[in-house]
Amino acid sequence: MRLRLILLVISLIAVMSASIGGALYYRSLKQTAVKEAEQRSIDRVETIQRNLSFFLSENIRPARAMAGIEAFKMALDRQTERRMQAANAMLDHFRTALGVEVCYLIDRSGNTIASSNRDDPDSFVGENFHFRPYVRLALAGRAATYLAVGATSGRRGVYSSHPVPVKDQTDPGGIVVIKASIERIENQFHLERSERMLVASPRGIVFISSREEWRYGALSRLSEADADYITASKQFASGPWQPIGLAFNADNRAVDGNGNRYLYHRRELENFPGWHVVYLQDLDAISKQMSQPLIHITKEIIFALCFLVGVGVAFLYGKANIEIRRREEAESALRASEERYRSIYHNAPAMLHSVNTEGRLVRVSDHWLHMLGYEREAVIGLKLSDFLSRKSARHMEETVMPQFLKTGSCHDVPYRYVRKNQDVVDTLLSAVAERDAAGRIIRSLAVSVDVTDRRRAEEDLKEAKEALSRYSRELERQVRVRTKEIASILKYTPDVVYIKDAQGRYLTVNRRFEELFGGGVEDIRGKTADQFMKPVLARQFQESDARVLSEKREVRVENQIPHPDGLHTYLSVKFPIWDDGGRITGVGGISTDITAVKKAQEQLRRLSGSIMADQEQERRAIARELHDELGQMLTALRMEAVWIRNRLKDSDPGVATRASDLCGLIDKTIGDVRSIAIRLRPGILDDLGLVDALEWYTDDFEKRTGITCIFEHRNVASVDAAVATTAYRIVQEALTNVARHADARNVDVVLKADDGRLDLTVTDDGCGFDFDAISEGDGLGLAGMRERAALVGGRAAVRSMPGEGVQVLFELTLSREL
Amino acid sequence: MINVLLADDHHIVRAGLSRMVSEADGIEVVAEAADGMEALQKVRKSHPDVAIIDISMPGMDGLEVVARIRAEFPGLPVLILTMHEEEQYVVRAIEAGAMGYVTKQSAPEQLVEAIRKVHSGARYLTEEVSEMLALRVARGVVGKSLLDSLSTRELQVLRRLAKGHTNREIAGAYNISIKTVDTYRFRLLKKLNLRNNAELSRFAIQNHLIEP
Repeated sequence: MRLRLILLVISLIAVMSASIGGALYYRSLKQTAVKEAEQRSIDRVETIQRNLSFFLSENIRPARAMAGIEAFKMALDRQTERRMQAANAMLDHFRTALGVEVCYLIDRSGNTIASSNRDDPDSFVGENFHFRPYVRLALAGRAATYLAVGATSGRRGVYSSHPVPVKDQTDPGGIVVIKASIERIENQFHLERSERMLVASPRGIVFISSREEWRYGALSRLSEADADYITASKQFASGPWQPIGLAFNADNRAVDGNGNRYLYHRRELENFPGWHVVYLQDLDAISKQMSQPLIHITKEIIFALCFLVGVGVAFLYGKANIEIRRREEAESALRASEERYRSIYHNAPAMLHSVNTEGRLVRVSDHWLHMLGYEREAVIGLKLSDFLSRKSARHMEETVMPQFLKTGSCHDVPYRYVRKNQDVVDTLLSAVAERDAAGRIIRSLAVSVDVTDRRRAEEDLKEAKEALSRYSRELERQVRVRTKEIASILKYTPDVVYIKDAQGRYLTVNRRFEELFGGGVEDIRGKTADQFMKPVLARQFQESDARVLSEKREVRVENQIPHPDGLHTYLSVKFPIWDDGGRITGVGGISTDITAVKKAQEQLRRLSGSIMADQEQERRAIARELHDELGQMLTALRMEAVWIRNRLKDSDPGVATRASDLCGLIDKTIGDVRSIAIRLRPGILDDLGLVDALEWYTDDFEKRTGITCIFEHRNVASVDAAVATTAYRIVQEALTNVARHADARNVDVVLKADDGRLDLTVTDDGCGFDFDAISEGDGLGLAGMRERAALVGGRAAVRSMPGEGVQVLFELTLSREL
Repeated sequence: MINVLLADDHHIVRAGLSRMVSEADGIEVVAEAADGMEALQKVRKSHPDVAIIDISMPGMDGLEVVARIRAEFPGLPVLILTMHEEEQYVVRAIEAGAMGYVTKQSAPEQLVEAIRKVHSGARYLTEEVSEMLALRVARGVVGKSLLDSLSTRELQVLRRLAKGHTNREIAGAYNISIKTVDTYRFRLLKKLNLRNNAELSRFAIQNHLIEP
């Protein structure tokens, strides 16, 4: 923490010293800049003074030149119109040539007699300028220059006058005057924003200035006498000449009314005694001029410096932090390590102790105490040999201790401790010596490893090995017995048994296999089926093997295998053989000769079919017999009865009535016979075919049961008699079920023949039933329907769910009939 | 005098019938036959006015006999005589060309009248058989049409509904319950995609099930 504070302080000091250094540097730079500016302003003021003197004096020579012009002399001599014209033309010429404001001619009395501005409203012609010093001086014969505000024009000007000499006379005949505009001169000076310039009269009136508000101002407050004098001279118009508020200090510094500070220099104007020019330079602008580029340049440097200092501080701070943390961690690790050592010593599940050179205990671990059953107080200071068996104690005293004191270590010395409860603990002791600074042994650090359990475990292991070997001998015996049993089974079973590897090579086959395919097991082993079987047979076998391998489950197939008495049918169960890693290593197979069963099955089927066909045939015959023979006989009888009745109707009404009764009896008998015949087999099925028979039957069903029964048929041409019988019987059975169990309101019978198929469905909207819950023998005749369907090569099925009615289907491929 | 040929394989029945017919006024049995072939030969020989043929005879089936008589002697009316009461037989017989139909059981009461009727050029059929025939004819005419999807019973109910019979009347006519008739009506409307009895009537007329 302290270190961090120190670092912070150091970084602050660094920042401060950097800023102080920067400030000092800035200051010295500024002083230099001011000095330079001063030198520059001196140069500047001298330039301005020179230029001003030049500008203000530039018309002295032209005035002298004008004074020599004959036209003026003549005009002054006598003012004829013609002479005046010439003089005026000359004046105009000079005004234009010199580019001045005005040129004019004044006579001896001070009156202006000609002027270049004679046509202007403020024309000088006729004005008397005798009050002007330049007029008086020139009339006195001296050229003069003068700065004043025009009495007529009100504009500032520099007046240059020169006397016009007259031949043979000392006094001049008049004077010529050139007035040049001060504004024009003012405009010649191109001052910068920070520069100010002014020209003041000997009495301190500002006549020319780069600042307009200073013009006609006073440099200092005017005394009354001065003011009167100036007013009288009419030199600067009428005033009042207010102070411009500039205060000039000793060290060339001035302050204006707004508080702007200036560096100023003052110089006398040549040719204008008492007049001086003052040049001012804005001090703030100077410092700005100096500091702006400096700031511009140093801004980035300062920022970079600050940033670098910041980065440096942050870097150092981070470094210091890491160092501090590392030291803290090291300290805590050291503490933890000590703690751990102590903890390990006491808590380690190892017997640790230290003895001094006399063999007395100076320190023991908790586990040591726990193992031997003592308290710490009871053992410290006692000899280690007191806790050992007598033999181990002697061994220690005589051999181990002297040896240890010599070498400073011992390894795996077998000691036997005696516990407080007199149990013994077998251990192996290893020790190293702790020495003092001089290298003398002061005590031991020993660990005793409890080997009691290990010894016991070794004994147990030995016993277990013996038991295992007994067990494995028993196992081998059992294996031999089982092997014999299985071998016997394989040998005597009528089935063909074989095992192949995954490549289809026979590994083992039983005797039946050998008999069937010839050759001993040695001949067959390692061969594939196609190496000793007929290709057709081998292919059969290999296809089913491949299925077992790809589907990874048992497969049942029927094979046809040639026997001396013809082909036999075998049912083969083929199954994968897995190794412990879950891989299929081969295929096993057991093939049973089911030829006899097959034959019996087929016979049974044929028998069943023929019984059914016979039964139908029988029924048909009986029905026909009943219907045609007995029925016709009864019909004939009825005719006779009717005949008798009709014959005796009038003669013997009693007999006629008896005949009528007889007739009724015969009618009933005919009805019974017919119904028996139809129940046996409806003649309509044989006479008119399936569609008519079903149409009649469904109609009859509806009448008998009150259940709406709709029969639809489509595309049904004639069908084979056996099929017709089957279909009819299935409908009969299904509708009988509907009437008995379904509690239905509607039942649809649909017979369709499409695409060479015959489809018959009987669908009711009754209560339905759980198809899985009923068994075949429940009297629904489902088994019978299926059998009938199968006999004609078709398929019957029943679908139902509780509450969803029942659907009976019969389907058959008609291609044989078509 | 109406000359009649009587063909029945059962000679006792044939004798009874023969006597019954002969006793009637204006009818005479001119020939008798015991099987189909004989019936055909006798027709060719004795040219009867009416042929009475048992539908089930050995040799040639009665229906075939009817068809051949109709082919050979289009003007000779044939009356079918049968032990069967199922209408399916009747319809087949009429389709084969018979003009009338009498069960042997009802022969004493009906045969003579039937002979007279067919001899006069009319048919002799029960109302139910007539209707079935009409339906068959309608179906035959229309061919592959909506009618094919209807069962015979549905056609029957459609025809009667179209004629304006009530459910109760229809139930009575076919010996079925009123509820069943209603079921048929519902199924008809659904199958033919119609909305009410009026549309049913229009459909029946369009398909020649009834006369407009």
